[in-house]
Amino acid sequence: MSALTMAGNPVISRRLSRLPGWTVLALWTAAVLLPLYILVVSCFKSTAEIYDNRLGLPASWAFDNFVNAWTRADLGHNFINSLIVTAGAVILTIVVSAMAAYPLSRYRLGWNAIMLGLFLSGIMLPIRLASVELFTLMRNLGLLDSLTGLILVYSAIRIPFAVFIFANFMRVLPSELDEAARMDGAGEVRILFQIILPMVKPAVSIVAIFTAIAVWNDFFFPLIFIFDDRYKTVPLAISVFVGQYRTDWGLVFASLAISMAPILIMYCLLARQIREGVGAGGGMK
Amino acid sequence: MIDRRRKSSLKRTQQRMAVLFILPALAVYALFVLYPLAMSLWGSFFIWKGLRITEFAGLSNFSRLFVFPSSARLYGALWHNTAWFFGIMVFQNGIGLLFAWLLFLRDRGAAFFQSVFFFPAVLSPVIVGALWRLLLAPGGVVEWALNGLGLHQGSLTVLGNSHTALAMLVAVDAWNWMGLPVLIYTAGLRQISGQIFEAAKLDGAGNARMLFSVALPLLMPALGTLTTLSFINTFNQFDIVYVMQGVQGNPSYSTDTLVTYFYRLAFGAEGAVGITDIGLALALGTMLFLILSVGTLLMLRFFDRRTVQL
Repeated sequence: MSALTMAGNPVISRRLSRLPGWTVLALWTAAVLLPLYILVVSCFKSTAEIYDNRLGLPASWAFDNFVNAWTRADLGHNFINSLIVTAGAVILTIVVSAMAAYPLSRYRLGWNAIMLGLFLSGIMLPIRLASVELFTLMRNLGLLDSLTGLILVYSAIRIPFAVFIFANFMRVLPSELDEAARMDGAGEVRILFQIILPMVKPAVSIVAIFTAIAVWNDFFFPLIFIFDDRYKTVPLAISVFVGQYRTDWGLVFASLAISMAPILIMYCLLARQIREGVGAGGGMK
Repeated sequence: MIDRRRKSSLKRTQQRMAVLFILPALAVYALFVLYPLAMSLWGSFFIWKGLRITEFAGLSNFSRLFVFPSSARLYGALWHNTAWFFGIMVFQNGIGLLFAWLLFLRDRGAAFFQSVFFFPAVLSPVIVGALWRLLLAPGGVVEWALNGLGLHQGSLTVLGNSHTALAMLVAVDAWNWMGLPVLIYTAGLRQISGQIFEAAKLDGAGNARMLFSVALPLLMPALGTLTTLSFINTFNQFDIVYVMQGVQGNPSYSTDTLVTYFYRLAFGAEGAVGITDIGLALALGTMLFLILSVGTLLMLRFFDRRTVQL
């Protein structure tokens, strides 16, 4: 890279030649940040003020919209449901996928390749197309209208990606690790959870981050499986809100802000890991 | 001798432990992904009464898809998904390449721009769709800005106009995912040796020449990944349409996609009375499954062959 910039141009003309490039990048930065800025300031405005004062800061920073979204529209409830489902799916996915990836990547079984292939094929499978049969299955198992049902479905969908990531990270660990532990009399369960898993922490965080994003954001499965208001998750509630409170823009903006807050905070803390994780796995959506 | 016996007993333990370790993941995955998918493909060859199979129907569900009135919805949705895919290839992956190239040319600030550009990709398409629905609505901030700049007059109705609605959704989708091509292309560009660019520069290649004649052929793996991902995502498009235009793909089905059509057939919002037609839904699902798997395989092969080895 530096080879390019050291081609010997005078500094000033180099800076000028970079101007169009910077402008383009700045324009897209504005295209990303401006809608988000409007979203945030609109949360503190009444609907009338949203129309009168489009871009400015609110006249007074009122929290009415947040309070109304949380209580009147009962978003707090949906928020807790989403937290339970996301945490449940992340934990279940990590535990079972790490368990499966360990023998598949570190034992010589004779059938690891086939089994790994079976798991990996799931990265491509369009599960939404199976939603009718999935619905029937969930009904027969008594899992409709339940957070447990959502946790199981999300884990099933995320397992292929998680097994892929864990297997890739575990494969390259030196074989002396588990051999030495085995000599010392450690069982396989202990080797996995106390020696191997701590060694693949980056894999654990990649799986945790991408599972959390996918599950927190999903809308399709709650739409099909959840009917009772008590079990609705945030994206499902938002889709109802947008129609129901279409004239109360401040309330809708506030509910959008609340629902993206956890992801926003996570992104600010983990932007680097997320950028690198996209390179490592690519399995985002 | 002792060593060999210990090894074979270790092997037996490992076989047994492997089964125990793999079983939980396999059970969940097989029960909630493989089994329903296999049953859906199988079920598309049967006549359905409500949620129950009655008798074998051969290919009749499939042929019904191509007959009026189903054919209008099918061809419409197919066309919208195809247009969506090409729109994303040009406006998301094309512009994303330009951004990645600009970030590659100057080494400072890349991490900042990448983080900002990627941020919308971690938001739910439902939130993104709802946000842009408010911004693009009549009386919304986009209308106000365009009117203020003198680029437009009166009420902005792009989402209510069947000629512009689909393009708007594609633009929102591109806004949502722009960070992905930027990340993947910059990663690809960094893998290319600086000597290649140096050599091209000595031969008198300008920036544009270097991007299209030197970098792009070497970026085939990145382009392949993005094309395949965009293809899969486009043909699964549902959330943005549902939130911005409703499950019918308003106005007058102009933003209908294969999955919104599938959803209506399967869960009952198709037609005036909102009945379900499971046989038709499963046939559509099987067709979509074929489109996705054949399309993905063809793309992977296409890009594999065009990968330049150095």
